[in-house]
Amino acid sequence: MAVSRRRMLAWITGTGLVGSGVLSAVSNFVFIKPRATYGQPQRFSIGKPDDFPAGTRIALEARRICVVREGNKLAALSTTCTHLGCIVGLADTGFACPCHGSRFDSDGTVTGGPAPRALPWYKITLAPNGEIEVDKDTEITPGSYLTL
Amino acid sequence: MRFALAVGTFLILVIHGVILYNQFSHKWEAHQIAYFNQAKAMAKGEAERASLEARGPRIEQTVVADFGETRVDRCITCHIASDDPRFSTYQQPLKTHPYSLAMGDVQKNGRWERRHKFSEFGCTVCHDGQGRGLSPKDAHGEDEYWPDPILGAAVQENWRKEFVPMLRGKEYLEANCAQCHTGAHFTGTPTVRKGMDLFYASNCYGCHRIEGLSDGTIGPDLTEVGRKFKIDYLYTRIKDPKSVLATSIMPKFNMLSDQDIKALVIFLKSRKGKNFSETEMDRYRLRATGGAELVQAHIKPVQINPAQMAKQGEQLVLDRACTACHKLGAKDGAIAPDLSFEGLVKDPAWLDSHFRNPRITMPDSIMPAFRFTDDEFKAMTSYLSGLKAVPAMPTPEATYKALCLRCHGEKGDGRGLIAEHLDPSPRDFTKAAFMNSKPMGRLVASISKGVDGTSMPAWGKLVDEKQATALLGYIQTAFVKEPRQEPKARNLPAANPVASSPESIARGEATFVNRCAGCHGRKGDGKGPNSLDILPKPRNLRNGLFMASVNDTRLFDSILYGVQGTAMPSWIDYGMSNNDVGDLVNFLRNLNPKPKGGQNAGTI
Repeated sequence: MAVSRRRMLAWITGTGLVGSGVLSAVSNFVFIKPRATYGQPQRFSIGKPDDFPAGTRIALEARRICVVREGNKLAALSTTCTHLGCIVGLADTGFACPCHGSRFDSDGTVTGGPAPRALPWYKITLAPNGEIEVDKDTEITPGSYLTL
Repeated sequence: MRFALAVGTFLILVIHGVILYNQFSHKWEAHQIAYFNQAKAMAKGEAERASLEARGPRIEQTVVADFGETRVDRCITCHIASDDPRFSTYQQPLKTHPYSLAMGDVQKNGRWERRHKFSEFGCTVCHDGQGRGLSPKDAHGEDEYWPDPILGAAVQENWRKEFVPMLRGKEYLEANCAQCHTGAHFTGTPTVRKGMDLFYASNCYGCHRIEGLSDGTIGPDLTEVGRKFKIDYLYTRIKDPKSVLATSIMPKFNMLSDQDIKALVIFLKSRKGKNFSETEMDRYRLRATGGAELVQAHIKPVQINPAQMAKQGEQLVLDRACTACHKLGAKDGAIAPDLSFEGLVKDPAWLDSHFRNPRITMPDSIMPAFRFTDDEFKAMTSYLSGLKAVPAMPTPEATYKALCLRCHGEKGDGRGLIAEHLDPSPRDFTKAAFMNSKPMGRLVASISKGVDGTSMPAWGKLVDEKQATALLGYIQTAFVKEPRQEPKARNLPAANPVASSPESIARGEATFVNRCAGCHGRKGDGKGPNSLDILPKPRNLRNGLFMASVNDTRLFDSILYGVQGTAMPSWIDYGMSNNDVGDLVNFLRNLNPKPKGGQNAGTI
């Protein structure tokens, strides 16, 4: 069946318009989130496991995490309070917010104060160069450690 | 119409598609995918494989905050395996950054550990380049206007082809090491050290200021030179200053080898304003001392043996780059006067004080005051004052060529080789009006006694009065080109008829501001607003040595009758009386306190 020239042109025009429209919509979804962010990267290495001997519980202020090592098990907890984002400090019973009084136990579970949620645990891996890599973009179930 | 619409919409679709496709097919994504695949194949456990599985390509970045301005390094985006020791045999960009003892890396239990961790230092702190760039051309700083192309083994595309063999990047890395490792005995930066030594040995410090290292004022400040200029620019600028900037007065240092220049470039490249290891306290201390102590510390004083003084002085004159500006025998820097017969032209006292502070003996000299020791100055003086060989000058023309040519020029127009660096400029002999308005006696005196406060030396020990007269005869025929006429005697007072008093000085100042400041400047330094258009330039009336060497009669002559062949008019024509001029002379004399010692104050 022969297609008329007019019909053919209408098809091409239509495809062009609809295709461009679809691509625009896709672009909007793709590019709405910037590919690179400014500020410190969310995945970073914090040094060799040897830097954290067994029994360590150390808060890395600049990175806003607390590194815990028990035996050969390692974990990284957030030290950003889930209430208003203050930096919680290490306390004998776990963590304590100096501003609004939220309290967490050593696993990050809320034990008092206005904090609505427990402190998140971050995924940690051992990078090929032997350093510990913390990925603050990925939260894991509290209580899951990296075994060395 | 329909056809155009169809083609148009289809084209838009294609362009749209291409743009979108480009956004999804970055080179760095391909590199990262290749890395993940390789790493998965090498993975030891299921957990490691799973964690790699979870990672998709994304822009990796390090924010480095401890080294000057906060910088963002995205180099890892492509060089994703740089910290993965398993990739040491791969090709770039998936190659492990080499470990080396020289960089402070250490081996522990068979594994290397980095001294300079990428998470702390990033990449651009050491390698330069554009940390944010994500295409090789951008990231490696190969775009034309980026001042710091990446330093490494690569030869940069945009570096000048003729310099490429000398600009292998790896050695230039030292410039960045030296931004923290400033210690004099740091073994990692021998070339920077060599460059710094050359900076002092070649007397660069005399003209250039580098905060904390030197305080020269003649050339540009080099404190941040490493941040502003590219390597090949610096290289060319030192190798042949005039090829880059035609008006540059920087001498060409012929004694510097290509390796020396390279060391200087690397040293300069390390000067980026701030050294990362300096504390505020260090900076404060450096500002307080102005770097004077550092210059002293860097120039190793030479032990002078009294018996060999002249010999050592010769060595010093040669070593310390004096001939980069001056002429001495066959060497000629083409900037400053000839020293070949200095012993006949200047006496030792003059030389010694000229060394210590050139502006005491020559108020507008551009020669820097170098910081050598007393003994070294004595040795150099002793050598120079021993230079007493009179060149062969059989004819007046030969005399002119041997003594006058360098300043007054081949055509006698005062534009000799070094004339542009002399202030006041050498006299233009082609101005017949000037030459014929001065009595012979004065011209002969200028030759044999020199002119104080200017670069005109006293040639009395090289040419006697007869030769001087013959020389003037030659100048008259060759350059003035008008027959010599003795000027008519002028009606001038033998001494200033107005006694100096505060009132007289005040009246003189008022006249000066009204009549003279336009050319001679409000301060009398010859830099008035009109001076820019005038050649020869108006006399600097604060040149104490010159002012002390001329008597009141001569000042009256110049003011009342003008200076023919220059812009100085005859003020009699404007109704200035002897009393007005007397006030002016009192004002000018008051401007210049008694000078400490001129060219003619010594033995000559």
